[in-house]
Amino acid sequence: MIDTLIFNDIVRGLFVFVLGTAVLIITQRSLTSLFKIYAIQSFILAIMAVVLFIDTGTLNLLFIALLTLIVKTVFIPLFLHKSLKKMAVKRDIQFYYLTPASSIIISALLMFTVYFVFKNFAATLFEDSLFLLGGVIGVSLVMMGMMIIFSRKKILTKITGYLTMENGVLLFSLFMAEMPFIIELLVMIDLFIVILISTVMAFGIDSSIESFHRRLVKFGLEFED
Amino acid sequence: MSWNMILYIVLNTAFVLLLAPLFMSLIKKVKAMCQGRRGTPLLQTYFQLFKLFKKEIIYSDTSSFIMRISPYLNIAFLLVASIAVPIVFIPAQESGFGNIILFLYLMVCARFFMALGGLDAGSAFGGMGSSREMTIASIIEPSMLMACAAMAFILKSTDIPLMFETVLDNSVAQYPTLILVAFSLFIILIVETARVPVDNPETHLELTMVHEAMILEQTGPKLALTELSYGIKQLILMALLINIIFPWGLAVEITPIGILISIALFTLKAVILSVLIGVFESSFAKIRFFRLPDFFMIVFFLSFAIIVFELLT
Amino acid sequence: METLFLSGCAILLLCCVFSLVTIKKSGRNNRRIGFFILLSGLICITISSVLCFLNDTDCGRTFYSITEGLSFGFHLDKLSSLFTGLIGIVGFCTVIYTISYIEHGATGKRRQIFAALLPLFILAMIMVVVSDNMFGFLFSWEIMSISSFFLVMHEREKAETQKAGIFYFVMTQFSTLFLFIAFLVIYKYSGTFDIKNAAVLPDAAKGLAFAALFIGFGTKAGLIPFHKWLPYAHSAAPSNISALMSGVMLKVAIYGLCRFTFDVLQPDLWWGFILLAFGTISAVLGVIYALKEHDFKTLLAYHSIENIGIIVLGLGMYIIFNYYGLEIQANLSLVGALFHTFNHAVFKSLLFMTAGSVVQATGTRNIEEMGGLAKTMPFTAVLFLIGACAISALPPLNGFASEVMIFQAYLGSFELNNAVVEIAMVVGLAAFALMSALAAACFVKAFGIVFLAKPRSREAGRATEVSRNMLGGPAVLAFICIVLGVFSYQIIQGIGFDIPIPNLLPVSILLLLITLILIGFLKLARVPVRIEETWACGIRKQTEAMEYTATGFSEPIVTIFRLIFRTRKTNDKEYFDEAKSITKSTKAHISTLQFFEERIYLPFARFVMRIASFISEKHNKDLETFIVYAFVAIVLVLITAGVWL
Repeated sequence: MIDTLIFNDIVRGLFVFVLGTAVLIITQRSLTSLFKIYAIQSFILAIMAVVLFIDTGTLNLLFIALLTLIVKTVFIPLFLHKSLKKMAVKRDIQFYYLTPASSIIISALLMFTVYFVFKNFAATLFEDSLFLLGGVIGVSLVMMGMMIIFSRKKILTKITGYLTMENGVLLFSLFMAEMPFIIELLVMIDLFIVILISTVMAFGIDSSIESFHRRLVKFGLEFED
Repeated sequence: MSWNMILYIVLNTAFVLLLAPLFMSLIKKVKAMCQGRRGTPLLQTYFQLFKLFKKEIIYSDTSSFIMRISPYLNIAFLLVASIAVPIVFIPAQESGFGNIILFLYLMVCARFFMALGGLDAGSAFGGMGSSREMTIASIIEPSMLMACAAMAFILKSTDIPLMFETVLDNSVAQYPTLILVAFSLFIILIVETARVPVDNPETHLELTMVHEAMILEQTGPKLALTELSYGIKQLILMALLINIIFPWGLAVEITPIGILISIALFTLKAVILSVLIGVFESSFAKIRFFRLPDFFMIVFFLSFAIIVFELLT
Repeated sequence: METLFLSGCAILLLCCVFSLVTIKKSGRNNRRIGFFILLSGLICITISSVLCFLNDTDCGRTFYSITEGLSFGFHLDKLSSLFTGLIGIVGFCTVIYTISYIEHGATGKRRQIFAALLPLFILAMIMVVVSDNMFGFLFSWEIMSISSFFLVMHEREKAETQKAGIFYFVMTQFSTLFLFIAFLVIYKYSGTFDIKNAAVLPDAAKGLAFAALFIGFGTKAGLIPFHKWLPYAHSAAPSNISALMSGVMLKVAIYGLCRFTFDVLQPDLWWGFILLAFGTISAVLGVIYALKEHDFKTLLAYHSIENIGIIVLGLGMYIIFNYYGLEIQANLSLVGALFHTFNHAVFKSLLFMTAGSVVQATGTRNIEEMGGLAKTMPFTAVLFLIGACAISALPPLNGFASEVMIFQAYLGSFELNNAVVEIAMVVGLAAFALMSALAAACFVKAFGIVFLAKPRSREAGRATEVSRNMLGGPAVLAFICIVLGVFSYQIIQGIGFDIPIPNLLPVSILLLLITLILIGFLKLARVPVRIEETWACGIRKQTEAMEYTATGFSEPIVTIFRLIFRTRKTNDKEYFDEAKSITKSTKAHISTLQFFEERIYLPFARFVMRIASFISEKHNKDLETFIVYAFVAIVLVLITAGVWL
């Protein structure tokens, strides 16, 4: 058992790092560092699961940590790097709807809104205020992932946004009082991601969906609208 | 003003004045070694300062009294600010020298007069340097105050010597969030001392320099004073960062052995931090000027998140 | 002390009458006699208020009662004596400045009218601050507004002065309207018009009264969104009037806010949040708009908005801390806000007066045409530098002394136990820091472009130093700035507040010592000095056009905050031919979004104009229609009287 105060501080520190990686993903322009940051984010989540395991002793958590480590820290970034090698463009500089600075302000506002909404259900779902904070950060990570999806054009960035959303769900479930079948759900979602990335590699979706669409039109596989 | 305080002022200021150039050349040497060169000797900055003191002063014919007094004011403000950060020993508390807001604003003062000096000579170069310097300073100020507020919240005091004493008494394991504050303080150190990735003082092109552009018209002993003041600013910010996290060795009473151990340990820690700064500088390219606000926003967000988490749990 | 104060007021009145009487024989000497009388009156008032403030005694008396409940009277206590002292000191220095300033511009008779209205204006402000009855308060408030309107319209030939004056007048009546509403609400529940504790109001009425008071006093003080009149009025008015209005009249509105919110009504918690929010917004937006300004006096006017924002947010923090029982922080915020009121009056009038000297010497208000004045007007430059350092909150001057109190209050807010309020405080702290740093940047620009480098136009090159009086007034204020800053800790302790602020006296002594040691060191070493040309990368001669401009200086900040400025650039090109290859003419236009004017003020004004034109249509009829109106009105009155009685 770890002393509660130190446990609180370690978890809080990990929260700040997770948020830091999320904010960096929103503002990054280089695709290679995007994947590295995603790998770091998953690694931090694995450490968080281990810390929670040491504190509460639920074996499920160790399992989740191991799975996250293997699939999300090693496997998926490797896959993403391989598909990046086939693409010509390695940077994503277009921001659609949101600029980097304003997306940070909006994420902060989102977090506060989610916190205030969740405070009302706090007693039933979460054990204490630290776990409430964890749940809030999980949900805001999901929202930030969605922001990444709509504000960027390149498909690999959109995939990273989706993966961030998934990390958010994992974080949220780590801190909930009950944990129904989350592991199976997550493995299914991961499989879906693998299929998506291999589709990207197979069809050669080069950078963004629009250019892919244009090529399909040129080859007569799709109609202009 | 007790004898304790007077001794502290004399010793602290002497230490800061004597050792500031050493750390400047150490960082340059580390950067050179990262680039595969051998770099200049460690005492090079001292030689440079002596050389500058022997030269003559040249004033531009368009400059006014500002150019004559601003180097003096610059270094005077920074020396008074250095009294707020104890390096040799922690003085007995009095007269509010160590107030953190006073410390920050003395540095703002020094920068104000330097920026005025940049506009004085009537060249576009100096004007551009002053303009960009004041812009970067305004954007980093909220992040700096967030870091200070985080320190004040965690350590429950706004007096810097008192903060050091609290961490010394209670060991940093009690305040792990301070390590996160240290990250923000590190970035603020990089910004305030005009290092890559914010500014590149090595080149002399208007696209890549901000700080150096302001002091382009200074000559001779005045330039020596200005260079020395950069070193002092760097040293006091490094001291703030180091002593908030690892203040062990800092003496609380005045004993010769205690003070010597203090100085030796601090020099060791500062050497390690300088190596870190040099390696950090060599790993990044300079960020485009108008991308800097995004970068600072990230730092601000982190400091803000630290405070908010501290409050919400 | 009472007699001293009353004699001071009587002397002011005498001076006004004297100037009016000698209007036939208006000459410089007559005006000088008038001003000297004015000076002696102001000295009496300042001494009496300082005595009252230090001894903490109250004195008061009612002059004249029109009817039961409506009276003119005065009541000096610690709060009002602070403000009368402020009026006295700033007025004193402004009048010294006016003795020479008024001799330029406008003809003889108009100068005499100016000399008559000035003591009336000052007297009206003093009467507002010391009145103990709401009727007297409003009466003096109206006299203050009307006399300042005439003073603003001093140079009424220019179109922009007319527009500024009318705008100012309308906004001032707008504020008086809301004050009327507030006073009537308070009267209804407390039954008396006297300004004293009226805590019996029910919550809804208190809220209404506070909202009306906030809008009324906020308009006069220049809080966003009611601030739009300030830049126009302060730049169109002559500089000594700008100094008085910006330094003193805005503070009278602050006095009203303080008196009514803290003494008369007991503040609720949400009032504190409103004051904090609007204060922070005014502070940040004020300085951001100031960065783009290139008219010297409009720039200073926007900084007034920023500083009023600081004062109001300090008052808001006081309410919040008081509610949660944190006494040290509450004291810090209140003393900080009131001290900042005094400091701002001092350094803002200093800045406006030196700006007036510069504008008069160069003949233009546009800072892009000035430059190099530090060599031709050295004393003015030094005085402006002291004012600029004070307003950018540089230690050890007085601006820093009051801002550090507010910072300490912010940093001490971790003792609150409510997480939401603490987070709001932290956000406020970040905004406050941003504003403070931007103010320093703006004043580097203002001082640098106006006084340093080479003159950017021929008129600026011909500028000469102004006369002794125009230097003497600001010099006294600069001296007060320095004294208030360096001895701030001792002064605050002396008044009786034991609050934890840094002692700036040893800091200043040390600074002075180190600077003198360094200067002495270099002088002893006898370093040779040479004067040469500025290095311009090899061009033969550097001209004024190559210097950095004010637009260029603020360009990075304007680009970073472009979402607030929203510059619209339009580029119209006319071509000779169809294929658009031979250009006939080009017109480029850059404009910022004047947010408050275009989105809030003008639609509201257009709505009012529509109602007004509708009604005026009904007026321009012949006699028979008017008799029809009267007939209908009498019938309606008969019916309502029949129903009610």
